[in-house]
Amino acid sequence: MKPEERSEYLEEYAEDKKKGIPFFPDAVFKDVLVGLTVLIVLIGFAYFGGAPLEERADPSDADYTPRPEWYFLWLFQLLKYFPGNLEFVGVILLPALGFAILFAMPYLDRTRLRHFRSRTWVMGSMGVAVAAMGFLTVQSMIDIPLPANVTGEINAAALFTEHCSVCHGTAIEIHEGTNLHETIAGGHEGMPAFAATLSIDEIDALSGFLVSPQGGAIFTANCAECHDSGDLAAVSPFELQAALSQGTGYAAHADLDIPEWEEVVFGQDRTALLNFLLAPDGQRLYGLYCSECHGPAIDWDGDRDQLEVLIREGGNHREMTQWRDVLPDSEITLLALYVVEPSSSPDGEPLFAQHCADCHGVRVPTAVDIETAVEIIADGMSHRSMPLWGDVLTEEQLTALTTYTLDASRGTPTLIGQALFGRLCSTCHGDFGEGGPHPSDPTNIIAPISTAIYLETRDDATIRAIISKGPSEGMAPFLESEGGPLTSDEIDALVAFIRAWEDDPPVEFPPEIEQGPVAGGSRQVFSTFCAQCHGEDGAGGADLVGPSLTSDTFQNAYSDEELFASIDRGHSATSMIAWGDVLTAGQVEGLVEHIRSLVSRTIVYSRDIEPIFQASCSACHGSLGGWDSSSMQLVIESGDSGPAVIPGDPEGSNLVRSLRGTGMQTMPPAGELSDVQIDLIVEWITGGATEEVTIGGEQAGGSAYTWTVDVQPILAASCGACHGSSGGWDAATYDSTINSGNGGPAVSPGNADGSSLAQRLLGNGALMPPGSALSDDQIQIIIDWINNGAAR
Amino acid sequence: MIEKIDLWFEERMGWRPIWKALALRNIPKVTWAYTLGSATLLVMVNQILTGILLTIYYVPSPQDAYNSVSFITNEITAGWLIRGLHHWGASAMVILAGLHMIRVVVHGAYKFPREVTWFTGLGLLAVTMAFGFTGYLLPWDQKAYWATTVGTRMLEVVPVIGPWLLRFARGGEELSAVTLTRFYGMHIWVLPALLMLLIGIHMFLVVRIGISAPPKASETEEEGPELEVEA
Repeated sequence: MKPEERSEYLEEYAEDKKKGIPFFPDAVFKDVLVGLTVLIVLIGFAYFGGAPLEERADPSDADYTPRPEWYFLWLFQLLKYFPGNLEFVGVILLPALGFAILFAMPYLDRTRLRHFRSRTWVMGSMGVAVAAMGFLTVQSMIDIPLPANVTGEINAAALFTEHCSVCHGTAIEIHEGTNLHETIAGGHEGMPAFAATLSIDEIDALSGFLVSPQGGAIFTANCAECHDSGDLAAVSPFELQAALSQGTGYAAHADLDIPEWEEVVFGQDRTALLNFLLAPDGQRLYGLYCSECHGPAIDWDGDRDQLEVLIREGGNHREMTQWRDVLPDSEITLLALYVVEPSSSPDGEPLFAQHCADCHGVRVPTAVDIETAVEIIADGMSHRSMPLWGDVLTEEQLTALTTYTLDASRGTPTLIGQALFGRLCSTCHGDFGEGGPHPSDPTNIIAPISTAIYLETRDDATIRAIISKGPSEGMAPFLESEGGPLTSDEIDALVAFIRAWEDDPPVEFPPEIEQGPVAGGSRQVFSTFCAQCHGEDGAGGADLVGPSLTSDTFQNAYSDEELFASIDRGHSATSMIAWGDVLTAGQVEGLVEHIRSLVSRTIVYSRDIEPIFQASCSACHGSLGGWDSSSMQLVIESGDSGPAVIPGDPEGSNLVRSLRGTGMQTMPPAGELSDVQIDLIVEWITGGATEEVTIGGEQAGGSAYTWTVDVQPILAASCGACHGSSGGWDAATYDSTINSGNGGPAVSPGNADGSSLAQRLLGNGALMPPGSALSDDQIQIIIDWINNGAAR
Repeated sequence: MIEKIDLWFEERMGWRPIWKALALRNIPKVTWAYTLGSATLLVMVNQILTGILLTIYYVPSPQDAYNSVSFITNEITAGWLIRGLHHWGASAMVILAGLHMIRVVVHGAYKFPREVTWFTGLGLLAVTMAFGFTGYLLPWDQKAYWATTVGTRMLEVVPVIGPWLLRFARGGEELSAVTLTRFYGMHIWVLPALLMLLIGIHMFLVVRIGISAPPKASETEEEGPELEVEA
C-alpha cells in the first residue's frame, strides 16, 4: 500500500467511525447476546455430553487405538499420506508452511482492496485450505476403525486395519532387507511390539500382506471365498505349490469346480500370490523350514553365492558315514539315546564329540524317537535329504532366506547379545538380569530387568537408548559415539537378547519376595524364609532340607562372619540360597544374632568373664581406687562415677560404655577388647551379672518376643507417625511404650487383658490405629510379648 | 444516588476518561460476524475460571491424576459442570477462534493498519492449539496417554533435532510422570502467561486502532485498475 492509500484509508475509516454506532451499549448488547448463547450451548453440552473420562491410562496396552482431539485429526490424517521418510513433510513442513503463509498474509495480499469480491485468489485459497482440512478431518473419522467392528475381505487386511492403519495409513513402504517379522514382533522406533498381541501366524500373515499387497488382491479374487489367509500362512510351501499346480488333482480340491491356477494367474502375479501367502521374511522362513534340522543357526563360512546355490539345490550336500560299519551297535544306541534326550544319557556326549561334532558342531540334531535315531545314524546319508528349495520358494523368499541364514551363521543376534551381556552387563545385573546389590555399593540394590512387567513396559527403542546413553545415573553409556565400547549393531544384539526374556522371564521370585521389600524383625524374617528349611525353632528335622542351626556342632563351627556370608551369598555346595538380594545387610545381621540366640548358653563369671578382666584390666585397675576388677562384687559396684555395672542394663553400664568407647574414655587405653569379648560381657550383664548366667534358648515363634526386636518395628511403622513425643502415649522408647499413656501405663507386663495397648489394638475401646487395624499376626506378637513380661 | 457514587469514585480514581475511551467510543457499523472475537474472549474467560477451579483438586501425578479427575467429575458439587465447561469450552474456543480468523480474512482486516493485531491473533491461535494438546494428557486416561504418545512422537520426525525435541517434550524416552508434570506446567503457567501477553496486546490494539469496517463493494470502481496491476 502506498502512503497516500494509507492516509486515504485512515480518512475513510474515520468517516465510517463517525457514521457508526457507539460501542457501549449498541455493540456490547450484540456481544452479550452472542456470548450468552455460546454459554448456554456450552452448558448444554456439559449437561448432555458430560466430560468424558475413559479407563485409566495403561502403558502396557499397545492395542489401544489412539485418537487425538478432533481439531488435530486433519494433521493426523495428513500424516498417513506421507509414509516413511516423508513423514516430516506431512507433520512439520506443511503445517509450518501453512502457518508461515498466514503470517505473511499482510505482505502477500498487498492491494488496498478489502472486499472479498476483489480478492478472488485469497478467498479461493482460503476456501481450498478450509475444505481440505474439513475433508481430512472427516476422512480421518471414517478411516479410524473401531476395533470391535472391523471387517475385512481377508484376515490380513483386517489385521492391518486394526493394528497398523492408525499410524501407517493405507500402505507401508517396506525397505528391502527389512526383517519384517522381527520388526512387527519386537517393535521399532516408537512402534509398539506386537509379539504379545498377535500370534506368530498373524504376524506372518501381516508380513505377507505388507510385502505383497498385489498378492493380497489376487488372493481376495481367487481364494478368499473358501480360504482365510491366516489359515494358509504356515502351510508348507510344498503343499501350496501342490495345491496350486495340481488344480482339481489336489486331493482337497477334488470335488470343487476350480480352474488350473496356471491358466488363471500368470508370471509376476503367481510370485506375488506366493509371497503374500508366505512372506519373504528370512527369519520366519528359517524358523519354519530349516530350524527343525539345522537348529537355531547353521555353521557357514563360505560365501553368499555358495549358500544360495546350496539352499536352492538342497540335496545331499554333506556325506554322512554309514555308522553301522564303523561303530558297534551298543555305541550307536548310546548315541541315539543321547541325540533324543542329551540329559538322560550323558555317556553319549564323548562319543558325539568324537564322531559327530566335526560336522554337526556342538548342536545335537533332533530325532523323534530312539528307533528313528538309530536308523538315521546307522544308515548315514540315506536319511532325509534337504529339499530343493529353489523349486518351491520364490526368488524373493530365497533371497530373504539366504540373507537371514548368512546373518545367523555369523551368530544370531540373541547369541551375540548373550555373549555381550555375560561380558559387560552381568556383573551388575546378574546373569539373568535378576539384579541385586551394586558390586561397589551394596546398599544400592539394582532392580531386576528381566521381569515380564519391566520388558512389557519398555519398547526396544527405550532399551536401546538406555544402553546407548546410560540412564540418568549409575550406568555408563555403552555406545561408541557416547564413549562406550559397543557398536550400534552390538547394542541391537543386546536388545534382542534382553527382549528374548519377555516370553519366558528367567527370574520368577517366590511370591513373598515379589510382594516387595521384606519388613519385620529378625524373628519374622526367620520364620518367613529360614523356617521353611530349618524349622520354626531352627532345630532342623528329618523332613526338612536344612541342617539344625541349634546343634553345638553348627554353633561352634561357624563364626558370626561366616554365618553372615552364608546367608548373604548362599552356599554353592548346598541348596542354601543367597538371601543378600532379598534382605538388607541389617536384616542378615539380625538373623545371625537370632540364630545365636536360639541356643542357651551359660556364662560362668569365674570361667568366662574374670580371665578377660585379669588379662586386660587388672594391671591398672587393682586396688588403687576407682574401678576395681579384682572381684565380681567390686566389678559391679565400684567405680568413680557410681557402680560400673547395672545388672540387666548393659547400655546403661559405665563398664560397657568404656569398653565400646562410647563413654568418656575408651578402655583399655592400649587397645580395645575383641568384639567377642565385649559381646560376652554384655551378655553377662544382660543376664543379670551373677556368677552363672543363662542366655538365649528362647523358643522361636513362641513366647519370648522382645521390644527391641519384635515390637518396636511394628510400633514404629504403624503408630510412630501420630504417637510421637507430643503427649499421650509415646512409642519412641521401651520405657515410654510401657509407662506412658493418657489413662496410666499402656502396658502392664504379664497381663495383656489389662493393658490398654493390647485392648486398643484389638478394638476394645476406640480402635488403634484409627480405621486400619494391625494384622492378626502383629497383634498376637504384641499380646504374647505383654503376657510374657514385656521383655526389653 | 448513582451519580453521587460515580462522582465519589471519579474524584478518587479519575476513571471517566478511561471509561470514555473504552466504552463510549464510536465504532463503524458492523455485522453479527463481528461478535465472534468477543465470543472467543468470553470462552477464554470461561476456560480460565473453570481451569482455576480444576487446579484446586487436580493432582498432576500418574498415581493420582486419573483419580482426582474422576473425583472432580463424580464427587465435587457441580464438578461435572466445571469439567464439562472446560472440556467443551476447549472445542468451542478452537471453533470460534477459527471462525473469527475466517471473518478477518474475508474482510481483509489483516491489512494496514492492523498487521500487529493479526500477528498476535495468529499467536493466540497457536497458543490455543498448544493448550488443547497439553490439556489432553492431563486426565491420564487411555485416550490421553496414547494420543499424547503418538502426538509427541511426531516431533521425532523433525530432522536433526527431532530426537532431542521428543525427549524435551516427554522429559525422557517414554511418556512418564515427568511428561505429565511438564505438560501440566505448560498448561497452567507457561501458556496462560503467553495468552495474557498476547491477548493484552490484541485487545489494546482493538481499542486503539479500532475494529475494521466491513469493506464496501464499491471500492474497486472508485480507483480503477492501475493499482491492482501494481500489486
